[in-house]
Amino acid sequence: MHISRAQIREAADMIQKQSSIQPRIGLILGSGLGVLAEEIQDPVTIPYGQIPHFPISTVEGHAGQLVIGTLENQPVVVMQGRFHLYEGHELASVTFPIRVMKELGVDTILVTNAAGGVNESFEPGDLMIIRDHINLMFRNPLIGPNDPELGPRFPDMSQAYDAELRQLAHRVAEEQGIKVQEGVYAGVLGPSYETPAEIRMIRKVGGDAVGMSTVPEVIVARHAGIRVLGISCISNMAAGILPQPLSHEEVMETAERVKEKFIGLVRGILRQL
Amino acid sequence: MSKLQQIREAKAKIESLIAHRPQIGLILGSGLGDLADEIEEATVISYQDIPHFPVSTVEGHAGQLVIGKLEGKTVVAMRGRFHFYEGYTQQEVVFPVYVMKELGVQLLIATNAAGGMNKNFKPGDLMLIEDHINMTGSNPLIGPNEEELGLRFPDMSTAYTPELIAFSKRMAEELGLAVQQGVYVGVSGPTYLTPAELIMMRELGGDAIGMSTVPEVIAARHAGLKILGISCITDIAIGEELEPLTHEQVVEVANRTKPQFKKWMKAIVRGVTLA
Repeated sequence: MHISRAQIREAADMIQKQSSIQPRIGLILGSGLGVLAEEIQDPVTIPYGQIPHFPISTVEGHAGQLVIGTLENQPVVVMQGRFHLYEGHELASVTFPIRVMKELGVDTILVTNAAGGVNESFEPGDLMIIRDHINLMFRNPLIGPNDPELGPRFPDMSQAYDAELRQLAHRVAEEQGIKVQEGVYAGVLGPSYETPAEIRMIRKVGGDAVGMSTVPEVIVARHAGIRVLGISCISNMAAGILPQPLSHEEVMETAERVKEKFIGLVRGILRQL
Repeated sequence: MSKLQQIREAKAKIESLIAHRPQIGLILGSGLGDLADEIEEATVISYQDIPHFPVSTVEGHAGQLVIGKLEGKTVVAMRGRFHFYEGYTQQEVVFPVYVMKELGVQLLIATNAAGGMNKNFKPGDLMLIEDHINMTGSNPLIGPNEEELGLRFPDMSTAYTPELIAFSKRMAEELGLAVQQGVYVGVSGPTYLTPAELIMMRELGGDAIGMSTVPEVIAARHAGLKILGISCITDIAIGEELEPLTHEQVVEVANRTKPQFKKWMKAIVRGVTLA
């Protein structure tokens, strides 16, 4: 699927007919964090299935709808449920919502995810501000012809995760008395969890956390000139660190446990954006 | 048609031709295919006669399923396997693993020919696979998950069954066979790696490198099978001293190692305890 501006426009048009709010901030809510969308005021909810050219989300824990409204006095558009490569979606589908957000006027995206802790000083339940990422997915959503109206042929990625936004996140965390980590997110394909040998490799090459999302969305956001703040919920220690197998249940349980802390942090950040 | 239905159709065809349910599945890598010749009371089925099975194209790989008795166990052996580099999707490559599971197999033994990156390895060494690194750029589980086949997010912490590694090592010791142990790096191929790439893979923690096995092991884990992986180190893949390599040379070393390998495999098949 090759994305055309016409398709982006169609999707944006449909959304703008449903809500007069012009969102400035986009939120992509990862595993188990979708409930933040319920705190949005005057929400307009649009199931992905109704939006032209949007894919459908299939993972447990991801609802599958766009919510537009106000949160902490900011006009926001929230993805409640995201798309992953491992579901079989094409890259263009996974990243299409970012294109549409840009078309709607979004200039800043807060992307969240659940990730495995690779850095052994991390603990399940930690929140990690993403400083940078390593693309280990062997995929790039920008492969193909480039439309200069959407972004440059060769986007710079030297400061993909905005330094000022990271500083803001740290400040808010401190104000709230929350300890946060900072580190490098390694994006992998999944859906099988990594082997211990793969985790050792990721640690060796500088990864602090590992997950199956975010990287494609951030690449497209940067292509589109959108500022990015990324926060990972360390939902479990990655394979080989503790002598126990990994499970999606554990990921969901930790995300549930950490929810309030995470929501509090996000709201605090939104308040000061 | 769902994947499960395809698997069931393939299984039904095979089952109609055999007398006993296989307990062990064998995927025989380059040059190691003739272990299948030792299977007794054998039923041989060409892949092209099995619904939904792909067809094998690499020289040294025959393209048949051989079911029968080996060392007192009923086994199903793939004489000829499928590779990602042939142009199959990884989903196609692993289809036989799910069929084996459906037929009743509890243990998958996957063998391969691999380049030795660990400086302690020599051509002709046999290496027990402790773990793997997937550098193929893909995953056989990409796509919707069918819950009857396995979990959406399978754990891979102990993909290569630790008890089987220990057991196989003991069997080797009893035979007076010295074997290696290490991490297998799976790449797509089909080019052999450059010296710089080999150095990188070794730095990343790899001991051996090859173009197979990783997808099948992920699928086997997904399906809940026990797994044993063995690499025949056919060449030295050390970047700093790399010499040109051909497929013929790989097969030649594999052939040379065959007698040891077969003895060991038979001891493992004979001695392993299954439900």
